[in-house]
Amino acid sequence: MTGSDPKSAHIVSSYDEDLAALQARVAEMGGLAEAMLADAIEALRKRDVERCREVVARDKRLDELEAEIEARAIRIIALRAPVAFDLRLVVACMRMSSTLERVGDLAKNVAKRGIDLAAAGPLPMMGSIARMGEAARRQLSEALDAFVSRDSELALSVWRRDVEIDELYESLFREVVTYMMEDPRTITLGSHCMFIAKNLERVGDHATHVAELAYYVVEGEPLDGERPRGTASDAPTG
Amino acid sequence: MTDAAAADRPARDAAAAAARLRRRRRLDARLRAAGIASLLFAAGMLAILVGSLISTGAPAFTQTHVTLEFDVSAKRVKPEDPARGAYRAIVADAIGALFPEVTDRREKRELVKIVSNGAQYMLRDAVVADPSLIGSRVRMAVPVSDPYDQLAKGLVRRDDPEDRRRLSDAEIARFDKLVELGLISRPFNKALFLNADSRFPELAGLNGALWGSFYALLVCFLVSFPAGIAAGVYLEEFAPRNRLTDLIEVNINNLAAVPSVVFGLLALAVFLGWFGMPRSAPYVGGLTLALMTLPTIIIATRAALKAVPPSIREAALGIGASRHQVVFDHVLPLAMPGILTGTIIGLAQALGETAPLLLIGMNAFITAAPDGISDPATALPTQIFIWADSPERGFVSRTSAAILVLLGFLLTMNAAAIYLRKRFERKW
Amino acid sequence: MILPRLQDAADNAEVKVSARNVNVFYGQTHAIKDVSLDIADKSVTAFIGPSGCGKSTFLRCINRMNDTIEGCRVTGTLLLDGEDIYAPAVDPVQLRARVGMVFQKPNPFPKSIYDNVAYGPRIHGLAAGKAELDAIVEEALRKAALWNEVKDRLDAPGTGLSGGQQQRLCIARAIATQPEVLLMDEPCSALDPIATAQIEELIEELREGFSVVIVTHSMQQAARVSQKTAFFHMGTMVEYDDTTRIFTNPSDQRTQDYITGRFG
Repeated sequence: MTGSDPKSAHIVSSYDEDLAALQARVAEMGGLAEAMLADAIEALRKRDVERCREVVARDKRLDELEAEIEARAIRIIALRAPVAFDLRLVVACMRMSSTLERVGDLAKNVAKRGIDLAAAGPLPMMGSIARMGEAARRQLSEALDAFVSRDSELALSVWRRDVEIDELYESLFREVVTYMMEDPRTITLGSHCMFIAKNLERVGDHATHVAELAYYVVEGEPLDGERPRGTASDAPTG
Repeated sequence: MTDAAAADRPARDAAAAAARLRRRRRLDARLRAAGIASLLFAAGMLAILVGSLISTGAPAFTQTHVTLEFDVSAKRVKPEDPARGAYRAIVADAIGALFPEVTDRREKRELVKIVSNGAQYMLRDAVVADPSLIGSRVRMAVPVSDPYDQLAKGLVRRDDPEDRRRLSDAEIARFDKLVELGLISRPFNKALFLNADSRFPELAGLNGALWGSFYALLVCFLVSFPAGIAAGVYLEEFAPRNRLTDLIEVNINNLAAVPSVVFGLLALAVFLGWFGMPRSAPYVGGLTLALMTLPTIIIATRAALKAVPPSIREAALGIGASRHQVVFDHVLPLAMPGILTGTIIGLAQALGETAPLLLIGMNAFITAAPDGISDPATALPTQIFIWADSPERGFVSRTSAAILVLLGFLLTMNAAAIYLRKRFERKW
Repeated sequence: MILPRLQDAADNAEVKVSARNVNVFYGQTHAIKDVSLDIADKSVTAFIGPSGCGKSTFLRCINRMNDTIEGCRVTGTLLLDGEDIYAPAVDPVQLRARVGMVFQKPNPFPKSIYDNVAYGPRIHGLAAGKAELDAIVEEALRKAALWNEVKDRLDAPGTGLSGGQQQRLCIARAIATQPEVLLMDEPCSALDPIATAQIEELIEELREGFSVVIVTHSMQQAARVSQKTAFFHMGTMVEYDDTTRIFTNPSDQRTQDYITGRFG
C-alpha cells in the first residue's frame, strides 16, 4: 500500500495549511480528552472533589473544539474538494472529533460520579476501577499516537487489544456484584461504580474506533473482520 | 503583508513622476501628429492626382458637334452602290452652304476642316444603313475637328496672339457664326466608349481597348483561377512536406515578386517565338497576365486555406470524411471568399499591367474593336500609353479620361473584393 | 464500518476496445509507452493526467486520428471487438464511422444544424432517402438532448447556437453515424458549469448505447461521469481502476499525488 501520507506538499500551499490546522485541532482534542480521562481517574482514586469539578468544567472546551473541527472540515470539503488521502483524512478528522467529544463526556460522567463517591470514603473496588481506567487511557493514547504518526501497525494492535478492557470490565462487574450481595448498604455506591466501569468500557470502544480511523486514513481500506471480543456481551449494557 | 511590500518599494518622487508622465504624453501626441501628417500627405497626393486627372480629363467626356444638312443627291451617291458615294463632297457642300460668301477654293478647303474627317464616314454609314435616304436632305450632328472642339471647350485661348494660336481670327469668326446660328452642340461623348482608336482625337475611343482588356482578363481568369486553386489546394492540403515542395513554395513566392516586364519577355520568347502565336492577340495577353497572376492566386488560396481553422478539418475527419471530402466539402467552400478576394485583386493588378502587353504587341494602332480573343487589340493601359505618346492636343484630355476609366474599373474590382470579404467573413 | 468497497457496474461488462503494448512515436519523441488496457462496452472510461501525458494521443489512436499527423507511428495492438484497428485492410475512414469523436472546442460546420448532423450519414450512405435521413437526424438530435431546442430551426446555422448547444450538436453529429465507441477529448473545457452539467448528464445517458471514452482535465468530471479511470503520466499508463477506487484509495503514489494536487 502506497496510498499513505504523501511526502510532497500540495501545489496550493494554503490547502496544506488548512489540513495542518485541522489536524492540530484534532491533536489538541485528543490530548485534552486523554488528560481529562487521566485526571478523572486520578481524582476518583484520591477522592479529590475539587479536581473532579475541574474535569467537569473542562468538557466545555472539547465541545467548542468539536464544533470548530466540524466547521473547518466542511469548509475544506466545500472549497478544496479533497480526494484520496486528503478526503480520508478530512472524514477521519470529523469522526475523530465527535468520538473524542464523547470520550470527554464519559470522562465528565466519571468525574461527576467521583464527586458523589468522595463522601463515602475509600472503597474496596477502587483499585480495579483505577486499573481499568488506566488501561482505557492507554488504549486511547496509543490509538491517538497511531493516528498522528500514521502507524497502521500500532492501530491494528490497539484494535486487537480492546478485548483486554472487556475482560477487565467483566471481572470488575463480578467484583462489584459480590460486594453488593455481601452488604446491601453498598448498593448505591456499587451502582455508581458499575456505571463508572461501563463508561470506561465505552472509552475503550471509542479508542478502538480511533484506531480504526487511523488505520483507514493510512491504508484506505476499512478494518474488516470481526473484532476479537471478550465476554462483555454477557454483561448488562448501560 | 501589504505594509512590508510598501516598505520595500522605493519612495516615489511625485514631481519626477509628473515630469515623466508629461514627457510620455508629449511623445504620444508627437507620434499621433506624425501619423496624421503622413496620412494627410498621402491623401493630399491622391487628391492632387485625381483632381488633375479629372480637370484634364473632364473635357474628353463631351464632344462638340455641328448640325448640318447634307444633300444626299443621287448624282453624288449611286443607289446601286451607296458605299462608294462622294460623301466628302457632300460634307463640303453642306458646310459651304452655310458660308455663301466664301468662294475661294483655298478658303473652301479651310472651311471643310471645321468638320471632323470622320463626318463623311458617319454620313456614309447612315446612308448605307438606310439607302432610302438617297435623294433627300439629311440633317445630322457630326463632330467638329479637334482644334474647333478645343476652341469650344475654351482650351484655345482667344487672347493669345494669332500666330501662337491653332486657329486664325478668321477661323474663329467662322466658328462663332456657327454658334450664332445655333448649330453647335456639346453632347456626352459616346464615341469615347463606342469608337475604337483613331488618328483623329475627336473620333478616338476606348471601345477596342475595353474589349481587348475584357478578352485578355477573361483568358487570364480562365487560365489562372483553376490552375491557381488546384496548385494552392495541392500544395496546402495534399503535398508531402519535403525539399521539393519547399523549393516550389519558395519559387512561387519569388515569382510573385518578379517584375512584370520579365513575364512579357518570357511570353515574347515562348508564346510568340516558339508557339508562333499571333502578335497583339488578347488571348496571348491573357496568357501572359495569367503567368503573372498565378502566383498571386496560389498564395491567396494557400493563405485562405490556412485560415480555415483546423477544428473544421478535425470535425470532418472525426466523422469519417476522406481527405478529399474534407477539402472539397468543407475547407475549400470556407476558403472561397478569401480565394475570390485574392483573385480579384490579382486580376485588378493584371488589368493595370502595361509592360508585358507592350512586349507582345498589344500597343498596336488598331482602329476596330476585336471580335474575339484572337483579333488584334489593345488594352486599357496600353491605349493610355499610346494616347499619351500622341502629339495631337485632343489626346491630352483623352489620356486623362482613359486613366479615369481604368481607375474606375480598378476601384470597382477592389470594391467587389472588399464586399466579398465583408459579406462572407466568418466567425468561428 | 467505514465506506465499504463499492462494486461498479462496469466490472462485469464485456470488453469493447482492447489495447496491448501500444507505443506511439512522433518522429523521435516517444509519446506513448507500452500502454495496455481494456475499455468496457456500455460504460464511461475516463483518461486523466497532466498536460502532455499522452492521454489525448492515446485517445486518438482508437479512431486513428493520429494517422493524419505526419511522422506519427503507432506500434502494438489495438482491437475493436477483437478486430485489429491497425490492420492494413482497415480503412481509417470506415473506422471513424464506428468510432465517433467529439473535440475540445465545439466545432460545428458553418452549415445548418440539419446539415451538420446529416453530413456523416450522407457520406457513409446510411440513409436511402430524404425521409430516412430526416429520421436519423431527429434521432441523433434527440439522443443528444438537443431536439427540443432546435427542432423549429433546423435550417439555422449551427454556429449560431450557444457553446453548450454547439457541443451537443457535435455529439449529435458524431452519433448520427451510429458509432459503437464515442471518444471525447475534453468536451467541456470550453463550456460553463451549466452546459458542462448538461453534457455530463448526456454522457450518462449515452452510456446505455455506447462505449464512451472521455479525456478530461477536470478530475471531478472524471469522478462524476466515469466508471473506470486511467491515469496517464509521461506517456505511460500509471494506474487503471474503478473510478471510486482511484478517487478514494489509488494504489500508485503518482496517481495519489496528481489527484490530490501535489504534482510539482
